[in-house]
Amino acid sequence: MIERGDITGCLAGKILRINLSNQNIGTEETKKYAQKTLGGRGINSLIMVNEIASQVKWYDPENLLCFGVGALVGTLAPGSCRVDISTINVFSGGKGSANVGGFWGPELKYAGFDNLIIIGKSRKPVYLYINDENVEIKDASLLWGKDIYETENILRKEIGDEHIKIACIGPAGENRVRGSAIMIDTTKAAGGSGVGCVMGDKKLKAIVVRGHGKIEVAEPERFMRVVAKCYQQCKDEPNTGMMRKSPSNLYSDPEWKGWNTNIVVKNGQDDQWERENRIRLMNCKTGVPNMQKGVRACYSCPIGCMPYMEINKGKYKGSKGEGFWINTIMGHACRFDISDPESVVESWLLTNKFGLDGDYVAAGLSWVFELYEKGIITQKDTDGLELTWGNGDALNKLIKKLAYREGIGDLLADGMVEAAKKIGHHSEYYLIQVKGQPSLEPFRVPKGWALAVSTSPVAGRHLRGATMGGDRYGPKPRPGNFGVTDYQNQAKGVVWQGKTKELEDNLGICNYVGTWSGANFLTIADFAELINSGMGLDLTEEELLNHYALIGRNLEKAFNALHTNMTREDDLPPERFMKEEVKSGPYKGFKIDEDKYNQMLDEYYELWGWDKKTGMQTRSGLKKLGLEDIAEKLVKYGKLIDK
Amino acid sequence: MKIIIDTNLCYACKTCQLVCSFHHTKAFWPERSSIIVSRNPQDGTIKWRMSTTCDRCINEKEPLCVKYCIYGALQVVKEVKEHD
Repeated sequence: MIERGDITGCLAGKILRINLSNQNIGTEETKKYAQKTLGGRGINSLIMVNEIASQVKWYDPENLLCFGVGALVGTLAPGSCRVDISTINVFSGGKGSANVGGFWGPELKYAGFDNLIIIGKSRKPVYLYINDENVEIKDASLLWGKDIYETENILRKEIGDEHIKIACIGPAGENRVRGSAIMIDTTKAAGGSGVGCVMGDKKLKAIVVRGHGKIEVAEPERFMRVVAKCYQQCKDEPNTGMMRKSPSNLYSDPEWKGWNTNIVVKNGQDDQWERENRIRLMNCKTGVPNMQKGVRACYSCPIGCMPYMEINKGKYKGSKGEGFWINTIMGHACRFDISDPESVVESWLLTNKFGLDGDYVAAGLSWVFELYEKGIITQKDTDGLELTWGNGDALNKLIKKLAYREGIGDLLADGMVEAAKKIGHHSEYYLIQVKGQPSLEPFRVPKGWALAVSTSPVAGRHLRGATMGGDRYGPKPRPGNFGVTDYQNQAKGVVWQGKTKELEDNLGICNYVGTWSGANFLTIADFAELINSGMGLDLTEEELLNHYALIGRNLEKAFNALHTNMTREDDLPPERFMKEEVKSGPYKGFKIDEDKYNQMLDEYYELWGWDKKTGMQTRSGLKKLGLEDIAEKLVKYGKLIDK
Repeated sequence: MKIIIDTNLCYACKTCQLVCSFHHTKAFWPERSSIIVSRNPQDGTIKWRMSTTCDRCINEKEPLCVKYCIYGALQVVKEVKEHD
């Protein structure tokens, strides 16, 4: 294990532990965890592997809900605002993790805490109020039932401090809807893995934070030199301007290549959306761009990617709030064939308001629309809603039913896999899911994307290695082949990108500002210099990529092995995308070739140091990382290749 | 000279508040900043306030808040004194 010197900067210093069953509140030092994993998600994963017994399910009081603020968060490192929220994944039963930006994470560090670990369950609704070292568990009876906007407004009034930062759940989380998010600063969703469902199960409505303290770095002048350099890189990077205007700018061009590589139409029936629909949705004068009233940024972010939207006509006139993403287009428009701009924007604002994961809503509810099209369910089952493609109003009504478990919403709230079992009629075939979690992602065209999403340890999401395509990185190509549609060498790119994401989540750097979005944003060398000058360490790029990043991924892999029966089969893409071809457009005829995919998977396992045949971890691999204790646990459960 | 903001260009990232605190304390300590930024995600409003503790970053080529505002919302202007 690499341990060079003491960590002397960047950390707030303490981990806050709260037991909601007996109301115990305690703290411990962060350093011993940070020495192994640096911070953020790494610390959450380490605590989960060590402390959650294999038989514990997501709804047991022994499940932990872990908030991990990255090691660089609270400093001026660009884009350093991210929080990892980890818990047992309500879909897969393995590792759950959702990552979110905003202002809540930095505030927790200014209050003195790097991580917040919650165990137990409250009998009645409560919220936490963390005001520096003063931590209280307070009654939330009056907040229960309120949506995200209402909850924030009541708490601000009650506490009387406009600078408090709030993480909370909406009615969806309270009702234990599986695809519930934890909302940060009203509109930023920690969406995946059902983290909001776990928070609701613990009867924890909100976590309010106010911090008045400071974060110090080991070598201030050296740290500011690298910060200034990184800001300049972000300023010079051509993709900064593109991302700041995205998606309204990019997708208002109906010929934008993203329309062909990123899109899944009608729940996976095609990967090509009609040109007239693109124009109607994204028309500069009458479509989505017309509703964008400004753009906002997260804490210390030099990109600024969050549109502020206001609906200015039609039946949803007056709805407003932050957030409209490429995923909104992929999910709430194309997936339902909805081109009415107002209803698409409204559907996204509704997911924020009710505390739902937008991707879950898109992937799950578009499946319900397809079942309706195929006659597997009818208006009798949908409480009278006509779930026809393009019907935005019906989608918005269905979103509300899901959040409040009304009618058909109650059936869907326990997860689409469970719903498919009840509905029957081969309905599970049409559900696009990976490891139990409905997945919004494109698979058939971008092969690296398909590999990363299918193998993600947190089930069917792209932020564990999905790659964007070679031309995005300009003159500095990345490892592997970044031709979007190729199979060959793709695993190299996915594993490299996956490793960098491990580091970004431990440091709390947004991957837009990190390695994902362009060659001139932050590099691994920049991460090393920020860590070394900020935390007082002396690490190399090689150590970051081939030690710390491997620890992060192996902890999650081990958690999945200890808590589930996942096998190689669970790392395959949805069956539908290996059988059905893209029907139209430039990629007509594309589907995933299972043999070629399996070759990518072989290479992927080898590059992570796992057994090629089974995908399982090996004793020698874990020993190299100083994770012998984890290897012993895996042996006990027969989940380790003993070589 | 004084520092002014164009809130139409501001993204409310609070970088100015943070770097200002570094100027004063050599730590990242927003409570000790001369600038306070707040934003309302519901109605879209941004509030930006500068306190009298601002020293325009003596010893720096330009105020750090201006230097680090990547969105170009802050600028230094000459202060015109009003005469009776």
